[in-house]
Amino acid sequence: MFKNYFKIAIRTLLKHKGYSFLNIFGLAVGITCASLIFLWVEDELSFNTNFDKQDQVFYVPTNQQYEGEWRTFYSTPGPLAQDLKNEIPGIIRATRSSPQESLFTVGDNAIIRRGRYVDADFLEIFSLNFIEGDRANAFNNPEAIVLTQEVAEQLFGKEEKALGKIVRINDKDNYSVTGVIENLPKNITFKFDWVAPFERYQEGEDWMQFYGNNFSDTFVELSPEVDFATVDAKVRQLVQQKDENSNTYAFLHSIKDWHLRSKFEGGKIIGGRISYIQLFIIVAFVILLIACINFMNLSTARSERRANEVGVRKAMGSSRGRLIAQFISEAVILSSIATLVSLILLAILLPQFNQIIGKNLTLGLSQPLHIISLVGVAIICGLLAGLYPAFYLSSFKPVEVLKGLKITENSAVFIRKGLVVGQFTISIVFIITTILVYQQIQHAKSRELGLDKDQLLSMPIDEDFIPNFDLVQQELIRTGSVENATLCNSELLSGGNNGSGYRWKGGTDTEDVLISSRNVTESFFETTGMEIIEGRGFSTNVEADSSNVMISESLAKMMGDTDPIGNIIIRGDNEMTVIGVVKDYVYGNMYEASDPVLFMHFPSYARHMFIKTKEGVPLDKALADIEAIMNKHNPAYPFEYTFIDEAFDAKFKNEQLIGELSQIFAILAIFISCLGLFGLATYTAEKRRKEIGVRKVLGASITAIVKLLSKDFLKLVLISIVIAIPIAWYYIQNWLQDYSYRIDINWWVFIIAGLLAIVIAMFTVSFQAIRAAIANPAKSLKTE
Amino acid sequence: MNTKLLSLNLASRTVNSGSNKVTLLDKIDLQVNEGEFISLMGPSGSGKSTLLNCIGMLDSFTGGGYTFLGEPVHSMKEKNRSKLYKEYIGFVFQAYHLIDELTVLENIETPLLYKNIKSSERKALVADMLDRFNIVGKKDLFPSQLSGGQQQLVGIARALISKPRLILADEPTGNLNSKQGEEIMELFSELNKEGVTIIQATHSESNAAYASRIIHLLDGKIISE
Repeated sequence: MFKNYFKIAIRTLLKHKGYSFLNIFGLAVGITCASLIFLWVEDELSFNTNFDKQDQVFYVPTNQQYEGEWRTFYSTPGPLAQDLKNEIPGIIRATRSSPQESLFTVGDNAIIRRGRYVDADFLEIFSLNFIEGDRANAFNNPEAIVLTQEVAEQLFGKEEKALGKIVRINDKDNYSVTGVIENLPKNITFKFDWVAPFERYQEGEDWMQFYGNNFSDTFVELSPEVDFATVDAKVRQLVQQKDENSNTYAFLHSIKDWHLRSKFEGGKIIGGRISYIQLFIIVAFVILLIACINFMNLSTARSERRANEVGVRKAMGSSRGRLIAQFISEAVILSSIATLVSLILLAILLPQFNQIIGKNLTLGLSQPLHIISLVGVAIICGLLAGLYPAFYLSSFKPVEVLKGLKITENSAVFIRKGLVVGQFTISIVFIITTILVYQQIQHAKSRELGLDKDQLLSMPIDEDFIPNFDLVQQELIRTGSVENATLCNSELLSGGNNGSGYRWKGGTDTEDVLISSRNVTESFFETTGMEIIEGRGFSTNVEADSSNVMISESLAKMMGDTDPIGNIIIRGDNEMTVIGVVKDYVYGNMYEASDPVLFMHFPSYARHMFIKTKEGVPLDKALADIEAIMNKHNPAYPFEYTFIDEAFDAKFKNEQLIGELSQIFAILAIFISCLGLFGLATYTAEKRRKEIGVRKVLGASITAIVKLLSKDFLKLVLISIVIAIPIAWYYIQNWLQDYSYRIDINWWVFIIAGLLAIVIAMFTVSFQAIRAAIANPAKSLKTE
Repeated sequence: MNTKLLSLNLASRTVNSGSNKVTLLDKIDLQVNEGEFISLMGPSGSGKSTLLNCIGMLDSFTGGGYTFLGEPVHSMKEKNRSKLYKEYIGFVFQAYHLIDELTVLENIETPLLYKNIKSSERKALVADMLDRFNIVGKKDLFPSQLSGGQQQLVGIARALISKPRLILADEPTGNLNSKQGEEIMELFSELNKEGVTIIQATHSESNAAYASRIIHLLDGKIISE
């Protein structure tokens, strides 16, 4: 029986090549699109799941209260890890962890790599796999360092064993390699190229050993037997037990949630990346649905062609069930072909898709899950697309269809129109959201930053470089390629150091304001293009400025009406005099108002140098000049730099990705919908050939006929617009709530999207309409 | 051989057209014995096709009684009814109604598929039929590659394949030229001689004459026999 169905299906496909192409291609595009999304989702869901102890390992973030609001940070007090392990039963391992970028030198070989200072438990908690050395003994002495295989090979070559060799770090200290671990998988949230004992990191930094300063990450491992809630409750109390005045409490956050559910508001998880994942899964199914709708519509629209067969088969003794089975098998066969076609499309498109999402996804056809999913998609699409037409077609009465009576297809027409409206509604929603997401990104990007990010370079430096800075600055400026240079303790656009407990004379209740602090040279404001709006900048004399600070505008506002210049800011025993006010600038989260900033003239804590190149000087020349000087004064370090404007763009990576993906989906949705519309238009034109012929003979103009044929479709698109607008508005309004710096939704966006849909739909339909309208009526009438 | 094949007892068929009730068949009384060859005659709209469809169970009477091989069709469930006609009735249509996407062989085979007959047996039966109708050479052609007469031959072969006791033919020669028509009628006579009961609807006096019994219909009533 199935063989018979199969034969009929293939022959029907071949007989109506045009329609088959529309069906298969539309479905294949839909399946391709859904597969890309599923591959992406699979990758996202796999994050942090490749640790052996993923169920027992927890990140320990802290909630800190500022100005009455709970804010969540991953930074914790230094002693927390040890206290958690010692005092809370059920926590069997705990580690501190602080990221650091360091220079590695072996002979002439010098590279800068990011790594982490951690406690020995770290190696167990994350089950690091040792190729050389072993977990138990790797951290036996404080000079130890464990490298990933990749870094070990870069430093010592592929052939050489790294174990026991000496590496010079930051051109200052020697570390001895006590282990080489396998490279980390790509899908983990933190990346590191090396780990070294935390003891070394905190040498001479006594503040790290007390509560009150939050700086380090903390990870713990729970015993498999304990109850999470009990342990978590105890963790929440610990910081306050140790430090009565603390505004902080710690809690447990599963590393499985780390990647996808790490957006906090008011101290609670409110989602995170997972909401995009869920959204895109819905999008995948919606696009499949759009593609399936094409099949349904073309099948029922062209039902007259199959009606005769249905009649004959019924007269030959077929039951309705068998006909349903036949039509569904046909749909499944068709969707299977579409799935095979989509494999080809996937192979072609995956590299481009990888580029957009910045991942390295593969089809992975050797994985049973992928094969099962493909077969599943083929069957689901077949059923989805075939079910309704099967029931519809098999309902024909043989007496009527065999007599050639017109099938009364009122219900089918209604459903068909409804489905077209559905397709276009979705497409228009996609178009509107694409435009608005794009606007929001542009809006945030073009926001008044309070600094000039262009032609600004950033490079890492260490403390040995700082005494040379004045000389380097002079030499840089002398090349004629550089406008100015400055030092700072944190990257320009990142959150950096912050703290609370600041008061000012005359102010009350200000100790719980979270204020960022920046240690800079006097050239900082000129180099970064920040504007001093009141008072003066720092002098060239660091000593003279030792108790002077500059503050940002928002901090000045907090001081109230009093003139901030000359005011005293107090923290602990420290008194600082405000000498200048700087216009607010945006750092950290690009969509929020940034926290107030306090600038201190204290370059010894600097870790970054910013260099502003001169306008009009070609970049290569400027870079060559800078490199020459850096090689002279900082010879141990390779010449590495980043551009601030690129760092700025990178801050929008997530939104940019959402924007690009929704653009792709909008194009695909409307493309697939138009394939269907094209099919329907072709069919309508075919069916109304005689009518068109008669009308032309009676004197109808070509325009009148094109209008006649397009009118019905235009109506459907208009209805879609009306339905789509509130849906899109509601959705995008919700999305924008996440951003405090956001666009107002403009009504003209809806008009543009609607017009776009109309133009595209009419272009699709008019092709067939015009063809029908210019056909010779004599021909079309003769064949009747 | 005077076994009764079917009998109609005041059988009617009405349809609702808007608010009007239209009577297509009006209290038909008819007995058909096995081995008969009946021609239904009458102008267009007289109810010939409706009567054939109702006898063939593609359509059903709305009043009166219909007994087929002693079983009351009018009170039967759809499932049993379909079993009955699948088993005993074959159809031949004016427009042949072959399935365009199937070859001659596959078209003839189709009824057997619906009777769940095994593949080997199907092949044998179809081969016999092709042989008998002298169309072995055309078995792999599609309907569109055949002349009208040849298509109707295939249509008859398909009707016969399930060894029906009754063949219902609605204007079987209506789309054929007179020579082809004659050939089909000769074939019907032959089949009838072999024992198959045939009821055909026709406009043509000469074709009607092949039958052993002619029934005239007008406005849904039998007016003469």
